[in-house]
Amino acid sequence: MDLSKKSAAELRELRKRNRIRDRSRLGTAVIYIVSVLIAFITVYPMYYVLILSLSTPHEALTMRVYWWPKGFFTDGYRRILMDGKLWVAYRNTIMYCSVRAVLNLATSVLAAYPLTVKKLYGRRFVTYFLLIPMYVSGGIIPEFILSTKLHLYNTPWALILPGAYSIWYIILVRSYFHSIPESLRESAKIDGANSYHILWNVFLPTSKPILAVIALYTIIGVWNSWYHASIYITNRAWQPLQLYLRRVLIEQTGQLANAIFDDAEALRMAQEQQISNNQLKYTIIIISSLPMLIAYPFFQQYFVKGVMLGSLKE
Amino acid sequence: MAEITKPAAALGKKKKRLRQDIVKENIEVWSMMLPVLVLIFIFSYIPLWGVVIAFQNYLPGSPFFDPANWVGLKHIRQFVDSIYFSRLLINTIRLSLLSIAFTFWVPIIFALFLNEVTNLRFKKVVQTCSYLPYFVSSVVVAGMVISFLDVNGIINNLLAAFGATPYEYMTDPAYFPAIYTVTTIWKGFGFESILYFSTLSSIDPSLYEAARIDGANHMRQIWHITLPGLKSVIAIKLIMSVGHILSSNTDMILLLYNSSTYKTADVIGTYVYRLGIQGGKFSYTTAVNLFMSLIAFALTSIANRVSNKLTGSGLW
Repeated sequence: MDLSKKSAAELRELRKRNRIRDRSRLGTAVIYIVSVLIAFITVYPMYYVLILSLSTPHEALTMRVYWWPKGFFTDGYRRILMDGKLWVAYRNTIMYCSVRAVLNLATSVLAAYPLTVKKLYGRRFVTYFLLIPMYVSGGIIPEFILSTKLHLYNTPWALILPGAYSIWYIILVRSYFHSIPESLRESAKIDGANSYHILWNVFLPTSKPILAVIALYTIIGVWNSWYHASIYITNRAWQPLQLYLRRVLIEQTGQLANAIFDDAEALRMAQEQQISNNQLKYTIIIISSLPMLIAYPFFQQYFVKGVMLGSLKE
Repeated sequence: MAEITKPAAALGKKKKRLRQDIVKENIEVWSMMLPVLVLIFIFSYIPLWGVVIAFQNYLPGSPFFDPANWVGLKHIRQFVDSIYFSRLLINTIRLSLLSIAFTFWVPIIFALFLNEVTNLRFKKVVQTCSYLPYFVSSVVVAGMVISFLDVNGIINNLLAAFGATPYEYMTDPAYFPAIYTVTTIWKGFGFESILYFSTLSSIDPSLYEAARIDGANHMRQIWHITLPGLKSVIAIKLIMSVGHILSSNTDMILLLYNSSTYKTADVIGTYVYRLGIQGGKFSYTTAVNLFMSLIAFALTSIANRVSNKLTGSGLW
C-alpha cells in the first residue's frame, strides 16, 4: 500500500482507527488515573499548607486536617502581615532579584556580543578565559575570604557582585546572537552605526526571548536561594526572605518547651503562644511562595524554551 | 570597466580603511566586554588562586599566599587520617548512587507516560502541576518535610491509621537517605522532564505510522521508536551525573539534616560549610574541598573512559 496515494481524510481515518486499536480502554483509564494521581502528589502538599494556615492553631498542630480548613482562622495572616521583619526581608529579596536580573542581562549581553564579531582580536584567550571557571572553582572558603578582603562581607554587594554574571548565560546569549543574520550587522555598519548602536538597536530587539529566559531564570534562582546569603550576610537588615523563612521553619527549636515556668498559668500561656507560632510557619510559607506560585504558569513557556536552548549546546 | 582599471593605490587605500574598521570595531567590543572580564577575573579567578591556603595555616587578614605559613600537605593528611574521610566519601557516594538509581529515571518515565495521554489540554494541566514544586524554594520544601514528618505530622497520622506507632523520622540516620531522595524527586522530576518532553516531540511521527502499518502494537512502538529516540539524551545526562557523583545537593542537605543524622547525612559540602564558614577552619576545609575535587575529577575521567569504550561517546 502506498501511503502517498491516500487522501488526507483517509489518512486521518486510518490514524484514528489505529489509535483505537493500539490501546485497550483499560490502558487509557489507567493512564488517566495515574496522571491525575501525579498531579495530585505535586500540588497537594502546597494546598495542604494553605488549609493548615487557615485552620485553627490547635488543628494545625495535630495536622488532622485533610481536605478543607477546620475552622476559619485569619489571625495568623494578620499577625504576619503586621510583622515588620517579614517586609524588610521581602523588600530585600525584591531588591536582590531586580538588581541581579538587570546586571546578569547586562553582563551576558556585553560579553556575548564581542564573541560574535568575526575579526575579534584575542578570541582564543577570551574563550578559554570564559571556559575555565565553568569547570574549576576555588570553592566557598576562598570566595568567602575574598569577600571579607574586599570589605563586601555583610553588605548587599557580597551577593550582588559575584552573582552579577553567569558564564552559562553568556554562552547561551552568544549562541542566540549567532543565529542573527550577519547581513543585519553589515547594513547597520554601512549606515555608520558603531558596535554599541548595533547591539542596542539590532541585536537586542531580536533577542527578546532569550533575554526573557535569562531574566526569569535569575529572578527565580535569586528568589529561592538562601545558601550564599547565609554565608555572606549576617546582618538581618540585609537578609533575603529565604533566610527569614529558614529561621522560622528550620531552626525553630522548642526552647519554650524546655523553659522552666513558675506557675501553671504562665506555662499554659507559653504553650498557647507556641501552638500559634507553630501555625505561623504555614502562614509564612503561603505568603512567601504565593507570588511565585501565581506567576509560574504564565512564564513556564520561557522555561521550556530555556531548557531547549540549553540542550542545543550539549 | 572602471573596476578593472582601478589604480593599485585606491585598492591599498580601501584595504587600509578595512583594517581601520576592524581596529575600531575591536576597540569598541573590547571596551564593551572588559568590565565583565574584570568582574569574572575578580570573582572567579582570584578564589582559584586562593586555594593555596589549603597548604598553609592561613590567618585571617594575611594574604592568600604567605610562605611563612606554609605547611604543605599537613591538612590533607590530617583529613585522610580522620574518621571523616571515609564517612563523607561513603555518604556522598550513597546519596549520588540513590540519585542515579531513582531520581534520574523518574522524569524519563514520567515523560514516556504522559506522552501516552492524547488529550492535549489534560496533558498540559498535568505538566503545569508537575512543574510547581520546582518553583517552591528549598527552604519551604525542607520546612514542609520536617513538619509533615513530625511526631504529630500528617505522615505519622496516616501511618497510625494502619496501626503504626508515631516515629521521629527526621532524627533517625537510617531514614535520611530515603527522605532526601524522595524530596529531591518531588522537587525536580517535573522540571527535569521538560528536556525529555521536547526530545519526544521531535521524534518523526511517520515512524509510528510505519510501525503501525507493520503491525507493531503500542508497547513495541515505545520499545522500538520512543526509547531509541531518547537514548542519546539519556546517555549524556547519565555521564554528567556520574561526573557529579561527589557533589551532592549541599543546599538541600543543610536544610534537612540535623546533628542526630550526621552519620548518614553529612557530605563534603555540609562538612566544609560547618567547619569552614561556621567554625572558621579555613585552611583545613579548603584542603578537604580540594582533595575531594581531585577525587571527583579522577572518577569523572574513569566514567568518561568507560563510556567512550562502551558507547563510543563521552564528554571529551
